[in-house]
Amino acid sequence: MEIPYIVNPRKDTGLINSKIAIWLFLASEVMLFGGFFSAYVYLRMGADYPWPERTLPVLPGLINTFILIGSSVTVVFAWVALKLGNWRQFQVYMAITVACAAIFMVLKGIEYNVKFHHQAARLNDYTVVEGHLGYEKDSEGEYSLDRHGKKIEENMIRVVAEKLTFSVKRFHAPWVNEMLSEAKRNGSEIKLAADIKAITEEGGKEEPLAKAGDPLSLELLEKIKQTQIEALEHNAALRTDALRLEWKEAKEANPGKRGWQLASDVNIDMEALKPRLLSEVSSVEFTVDPPTLLLFKPRDIKESPTSSRLRDDTVIDGAMGASPMVFHNLDAIDFQWLVMKAKEKGISPEAAIADSWLMKKSEFVREAWAWHLARNEKRQAELTKDYGFKEDGKTPKRTLTHKELYRLGWKDLGEMGVEKQQVKISGFDKIKEEFKGPNYEARGEKTFPHISIPREEIRHAAKFTPAWNTYYAIYFTITGLHGLHVIGGALVLLYYLVFGRKMFLSNPEWFANRVEVGGLFWHFVDLVWIFAFPIFYLM
Amino acid sequence: MADSIEAIHKAKKTYLLVFGALLVGTILTVLVATVPALDIGGHGFDIYDAILGLIIATTKSTLVAAIFMHLNHEKKLIYYVFFGAIFFFFAMGALFALSESSPIWDYNFYK
Repeated sequence: MEIPYIVNPRKDTGLINSKIAIWLFLASEVMLFGGFFSAYVYLRMGADYPWPERTLPVLPGLINTFILIGSSVTVVFAWVALKLGNWRQFQVYMAITVACAAIFMVLKGIEYNVKFHHQAARLNDYTVVEGHLGYEKDSEGEYSLDRHGKKIEENMIRVVAEKLTFSVKRFHAPWVNEMLSEAKRNGSEIKLAADIKAITEEGGKEEPLAKAGDPLSLELLEKIKQTQIEALEHNAALRTDALRLEWKEAKEANPGKRGWQLASDVNIDMEALKPRLLSEVSSVEFTVDPPTLLLFKPRDIKESPTSSRLRDDTVIDGAMGASPMVFHNLDAIDFQWLVMKAKEKGISPEAAIADSWLMKKSEFVREAWAWHLARNEKRQAELTKDYGFKEDGKTPKRTLTHKELYRLGWKDLGEMGVEKQQVKISGFDKIKEEFKGPNYEARGEKTFPHISIPREEIRHAAKFTPAWNTYYAIYFTITGLHGLHVIGGALVLLYYLVFGRKMFLSNPEWFANRVEVGGLFWHFVDLVWIFAFPIFYLM
Repeated sequence: MADSIEAIHKAKKTYLLVFGALLVGTILTVLVATVPALDIGGHGFDIYDAILGLIIATTKSTLVAAIFMHLNHEKKLIYYVFFGAIFFFFAMGALFALSESSPIWDYNFYK
């Protein structure tokens, strides 16, 4: 099919069709991104926690802005080169544009990767702790690996399992296998707690499905699951048939009445149906002898001191062992939220901080906080010196922000390390930190110490992903969507670069129009970033 | 749109000027947000910084739209389409804002 008006403009609009099309598309994009930016505004206005302002690394964001602006110029120069009939120049400019897109995505990838590995935990008293978790090691000091061959973070829930109750329909086979192998390693046996008997045929007698003492196996669970599914299907069909019959009889007996008038009287006689039903076995119980230690990721388990539940509805009876979240390196101490909550209750921030779990338990935190308070005093004195007081002569015109007052970020801890412990760090390592966050190797444990937080002290924990808070949710939504636009746009431009020669030779005007349309999209991508950068990185 | 070769060469110069302006705008945005001496309003981020940041961003995006996307000399239909979308974006924002100021959020309204 030939698309009309793609080389010469239509008389009534004065435009080529593809240009109208791209502008219509861009109009829809304005609404799409506009919607998300509105969401950002309302999430920020309605946030019931201290909004993480100016929290993203500015340098990579700034470089990315330069890169996108630069690529906007090169893409328009590529189009100009086509207008002048210069293929070689077009190639150069377009190649630079695509390279810019690639660099942009690499920097974005580094930024995302840092977030995905950075852990945060909110304690019961609303203190927020940030850092990196350590990894589980076995008795020989080697890193333990999970079934995917990945290192296991020191953030596991430990349960000494005495009894396991599997949901017959929902059990997750890999977890069953893991439990089996763990039990085997610890010399434990997992055996069926009681005989399982079931009626498997209509009108039949109860027959044994499994005997008490049978070892746990996937085959056994699958067999019971199959029986359960058949029973459920059979019983549901029986009930449906019985109900249909009831309705039919009710309607025949009361021809003038409507359905809703009869509904309360239409019931299945379950007693009559009972002899025909098959046995439903919804869960099976196993004993663990001797009780064995099992480890679960926090996301997979709802832990409790005596009886925990996995995501697949398996209930594990047994005592929960010590399951601390172990920060190999602590890189931020944040009392902003705690202070917010304290003020709501009319408690003084200082008293609330002094009473927090972290201050009570960690010598390092106490020292760091004392250093922080002394530094804040100096900072405030400087502000007062520079800007003076308000008209009342007492209140300083400028005061430290909530964040400056109550948060010790990794840069602050780094500063403290340099000042107090004379930690030295090279210029290269400093620049690396601007992209990849705190450099633990260079600054060491004196600056970013080890800390272990008991599970019962943690109210919420997550990596810096949308699971952490609404700020990261909207940040990943907008920048992720923008990143997809960068990839999409770059692919189209790359297509022009690689496969455009033939079209350039046969119909240069048409090709120039194509590049112009692709370029318009690319400028729009730049336009979105022009707003995203200050909003996310600087506000 | 630049069609003659002369006009195209002239346009190239404009593009480079805009590029320079965008770089300056970006650096300015970062400076006012990071250098205390350039911080307007109170200390740290506040509404004045937000307004200034958005003004610079809007200026930059206007330059991109007007010069790179050729909106400074475009056909009427394109204006209708694009500015229509911008209008609806603000209309959507206004609807949200109206819903936020609704009396149902007023604690004392039904007392």
